[in-house]
Amino acid sequence: MSKLEKAYNELDKMELVSSENSSVHALDPRSKILVTSVYLCLMLSLPLVRLSELLLFFVFPILTAAMAGIPYGFLFKRSLVVLPFALLIGVFNPIFDRETLFYVGSVPVSKGWVTFSSILVRGLLSVQGALLLILTSGFYNVCKGMEQMKVPALFTNQLLFVYRYVFVLIQESIRLSWARDSRSFGKKGHGVKVWSMMIGQLLIRTFERANRIHLSMKSRGFQGSLRMLGHFEWHRSDSLFLFCWCTFFLVIRIFPVSESLLASFRWF
Amino acid sequence: MHMSDALVSSPVAAVMGVVSVSLLVLSLHKIKKANDENVVPLMGVMGAFVFAAQMLNFTIPGTGSSGHIVGGILLSAMLGPWAAYVTLASVLVIQALFFADGGLLALGCNLFNMGVLSCLVAYPLAYRPLAGEGGSSFRLSLAAVLACLLGLEMGAFMVTAETEMSGVTALPFGSFLLFMMPIHVLIGIMEGVATAAVLVFMRRYKPDLLDSCKPVSGQHKVSKKVLLVIAGVALLFGGVFSWYASSDPDGLEWSIAKIVKDGEVSSEPEMVKNMADRIQRNTAFLPDYGFAVGENGGLTEEEMEATSSSLSDSKTGTSVAGITGGVIVLLLVYLIGLLFRNRMRDKSV
Repeated sequence: MSKLEKAYNELDKMELVSSENSSVHALDPRSKILVTSVYLCLMLSLPLVRLSELLLFFVFPILTAAMAGIPYGFLFKRSLVVLPFALLIGVFNPIFDRETLFYVGSVPVSKGWVTFSSILVRGLLSVQGALLLILTSGFYNVCKGMEQMKVPALFTNQLLFVYRYVFVLIQESIRLSWARDSRSFGKKGHGVKVWSMMIGQLLIRTFERANRIHLSMKSRGFQGSLRMLGHFEWHRSDSLFLFCWCTFFLVIRIFPVSESLLASFRWF
Repeated sequence: MHMSDALVSSPVAAVMGVVSVSLLVLSLHKIKKANDENVVPLMGVMGAFVFAAQMLNFTIPGTGSSGHIVGGILLSAMLGPWAAYVTLASVLVIQALFFADGGLLALGCNLFNMGVLSCLVAYPLAYRPLAGEGGSSFRLSLAAVLACLLGLEMGAFMVTAETEMSGVTALPFGSFLLFMMPIHVLIGIMEGVATAAVLVFMRRYKPDLLDSCKPVSGQHKVSKKVLLVIAGVALLFGGVFSWYASSDPDGLEWSIAKIVKDGEVSSEPEMVKNMADRIQRNTAFLPDYGFAVGENGGLTEEEMEATSSSLSDSKTGTSVAGITGGVIVLLLVYLIGLLFRNRMRDKSV
């Protein structure tokens, strides 16, 4: 399957998941946007050496996914795409930073290895947080929520337009790609020359499509801004969701929770 | 070039977020002021186009690998820089949310590295003056290649700087930069060639869609306000970020120092070296990015150690050096721009 087809299937799948019903899906997207932002800020402000506290941040995606009825494996598999880039940057840490931090049995573990693992965990956690937001709210609701949070309507409209036409243009690109593949052999026909004509064609068609869309929108009364249906109401459950998670993130960010947990285990 | 959240710390993400979002708000304001209602659906469909076009690859001859476009310069050439930046920003938001291409918190960094630097810096400073009004295919291609190269190199530099300032990697700044910059020269040239190919195609079949083939309208000129904003950003970077610049020698200085220490470059005549040293001392306005101290300029090793303890002083020195450097670069760029403008005026007369 080509990259385009994969992307199309992914978008389709995510759209399906986001339209399901659950207690998390029913929350106001604004509370989910706020929780995701606090989660990312506090998680990324944690020093790299505090790997044990960082691992506690996994509680959020695991628990929220369970509450939303999304299999955690679905989320985890999608978050793995971030690993290659994080690996590329983090791989130098074990080489440069050889100061021993602690011992596992008699094996010394250097600071470099701990920070390296932290970079990978941070990558996974941040992607899972962002994916959860979109999988439990849907893009339309996130944009609507952002508009109610005073993000300029011009920008949220732009996001919605792009999202809508991504589906259409990916399908068109898949057809172009098939046409090129069926007319070329090996590497022949995949050079810049054919590519530029293909992209140019796509661009001209895109412009013509934009013109048609504009005319049809104008004939339906478009005056420069999209009108969204409905209005989100903030409920007690939204406040509770926001309060509980923010308190949890603050506690694991500020206090060395994992050390106290370990100590209490020893005590038992 | 998409930076993941794993690579940035919250303060760096916040600073870059403020810069990028302010420029986004400014761009939205500009689009609104232009009051061209046709541009809203056009931006939407063009965003989707960039999204799809990024996934259509072409083979790079002789290497077996494939390339695609990022699209900043192409979008600017079609829509003008402000609308192009907003369009690219919307694409980046969707990529971050759905495909984990760049993080949500790192969005500010990504908007700056890929959007601001290509649409609002490389396009008006490199592409517009070079491509001219209705220039030849060759000029269009040259402008596209140079603008893409400039945009990507600046972007690669910023990726390195942001990762280093976040304190994520243990890799020294110099080595990281030596690793990033050459790769992005190749990527930049490829991106430039691809952009040029599409632009030349458009010039032949639909010249009316190209921004540079349209008669100049006021909104696409680089206004004084824009120059002020760019100057402000440059001052901020030069001033604040130079505090964090490594006090260790950079890759080249370090390798040279090592070679000299090993006694391998002893064949160089002392006289030439002394003369070069003297010339540099007399001409270097800001030796090692700080104020020149004393009549001879520069400091001895002991003096350096003594002064480094007074951190506030050295910070002021570094900041002033950063800001002055920024001003000098801006002046140079402005002068080059003037040269181009004069040449173009002569031609049109």
